[in-house]
Amino acid sequence: MHDELKAEAIWRFAGYGFLILVTMFMLVPIYWLLVASTLPESAIIASAGSGLPRLIPGTHFLENARTLAARPDVDFYLSIFNSVLIAVVYTGLALIFCSMAGFAFAKYDFRFKEPLFLGILATLIIPINLLVVPLFLLVSNIGLANSYWAVILPWAAYPIGIFFMRQSMQSIPDSLLEAARMDGASEFQLYYRVALPTMKSSMAALAVILFLFQWNLFLWPLVVLQQEKFTIPVAITKIMGQEQIAYDQLLIAAVLAIVPMFVVFLALQRHFVRGILAGAVKE
Amino acid sequence: MRSDLTVELVDQVRYKRERLKDLLPPIPGTPFVFLSPFFVLFGVFLAIPVFYTIYLSFFVFQGVSMEPIFVLDLGTYQLVVPEMANLRFVGLEHYERMLTDQVFHQAITNTVVIFVVQMPIMVSLALGLALVLNAGFTRFKDAFRSVLLLPVSANTVAYSVIFIVLVTEGGLADAMFRAVGLDPVAWLSNGFWSRNLIAFMSVWRWTGYNMIIILAGLQTISDSLYEAAEIDGATKIQKFRYVTLPQLKPIMLFVFVTSTIGGFKKFAEPTIVIQSGAPITETRTIAYYIYQVAFQNLELGYGSALTVALVVIIMSLSLLQFKVS
Repeated sequence: MHDELKAEAIWRFAGYGFLILVTMFMLVPIYWLLVASTLPESAIIASAGSGLPRLIPGTHFLENARTLAARPDVDFYLSIFNSVLIAVVYTGLALIFCSMAGFAFAKYDFRFKEPLFLGILATLIIPINLLVVPLFLLVSNIGLANSYWAVILPWAAYPIGIFFMRQSMQSIPDSLLEAARMDGASEFQLYYRVALPTMKSSMAALAVILFLFQWNLFLWPLVVLQQEKFTIPVAITKIMGQEQIAYDQLLIAAVLAIVPMFVVFLALQRHFVRGILAGAVKE
Repeated sequence: MRSDLTVELVDQVRYKRERLKDLLPPIPGTPFVFLSPFFVLFGVFLAIPVFYTIYLSFFVFQGVSMEPIFVLDLGTYQLVVPEMANLRFVGLEHYERMLTDQVFHQAITNTVVIFVVQMPIMVSLALGLALVLNAGFTRFKDAFRSVLLLPVSANTVAYSVIFIVLVTEGGLADAMFRAVGLDPVAWLSNGFWSRNLIAFMSVWRWTGYNMIIILAGLQTISDSLYEAAEIDGATKIQKFRYVTLPQLKPIMLFVFVTSTIGGFKKFAEPTIVIQSGAPITETRTIAYYIYQVAFQNLELGYGSALTVALVVIIMSLSLLQFKVS
């Protein structure tokens, strides 16, 4: 009995040790980013070979933010505006399209339903952001190159989105829809007035995933957008692409790209978890 | 006793519902109205490009012309898939070139090496974390979970930047190495370490994501299985080996397949690492090479062939994992 307790204690100790160690590994870069963004450039990197970079916050945050704004080559604050605008419009549109299609797949019978759905699922294995070459030709040919739409439209039909909405909407009872039909609701009203309100939390889950997906897109915006339409990730690489890296400006840019998302993410995290699990567990 | 009356009533209600359904059928074509926006976008921006990539991979061209090879007239809106000027059919030439393209081979090696370092570390960390967070004794589970999951929301380019500054010469990583008596590592000038840096960065970003999926898998395993194992006198390790792992198999398969897809299309991290001065030959991934070929050298045909090759590689690896499991 005594041995068993001892073994249990060792497991606990090891478990907590491991958990805390990994958690620190996750937190160190974040903590350091927050600190470094408040330091003058000279203190971010310790003078070669001697001493430690400072680990307590300084007072240079606003000054760093101002030097970033003063850059002549990249308007980083404009890129924040672009990123937010694109991600918001994208999320709204993709939510509508995916939920409408998901509704049809979950609640109607029609010919070729299964093969169509399987066809959509099959594209999940293709890394879609590698379709840049044909997409670039296509988008430039229909006159959308260097427009917000070029970044919004191609992924608005997001296969994971339709998959997720179909799974969720299958839980809407048919009798509810029939009752509404008898009351004279049109088919669109069934979707809009009956299905959507019961799907609020699923929509929230998908919205978080869509927003993050768009916020993170890099290769495609890099190819298709020009200077004044740059999104955050593209703008950051332009800040980097200099002979001498300005660490203070780079880190302020990273803070502005990451910290607001952390806040939003922490608030909406349970939705995100629900969303990714719907994709994983239904494999 | 359940009278015939009840049965009759149930029948009647059922009959009425059937009739009402007949009376009020969904208007034929309704589902297609709901589907059409999705399918128009899906067709134009996903399905066509997939086939178009394959098509382009057999051609060489100079410049883009407006001559359409495919026109879809939607009334006010015309969709045109472009033809290329001086488009020259070269058959399998691009694919032959690939066989002897040293840069491509190097890019494959780099991608695989990064993946081979990242995958085991990431998956074992994720599995370990999920097990600890699933254990009865652990407290503050929600807080730990939130922190571990936080990196998933970090913008890929922005978080790469943080790591670059962290490992810059004279930066925090150097100082930490010295503090424990080790020699600092040349993360950004030595190709070997640059590749490992990319792998570690990816571990930072994706461990929490995989942990959540594994955790969900763990929670679906029925307690009775563990109880039965306990009655048979199984130790903790035996329970893990004979109950947890087999039950977790489908989830682990999902984790492996999605990590493979993610690992082989890695682009943001190598881009930032290369931009900050790491040796390009040793850190250039396939996705990065495709970008260079297609958009810096403007060889769209060869770039398409490389894309096709990459998709084939990813698909075969995924299928292999299904087979093995």
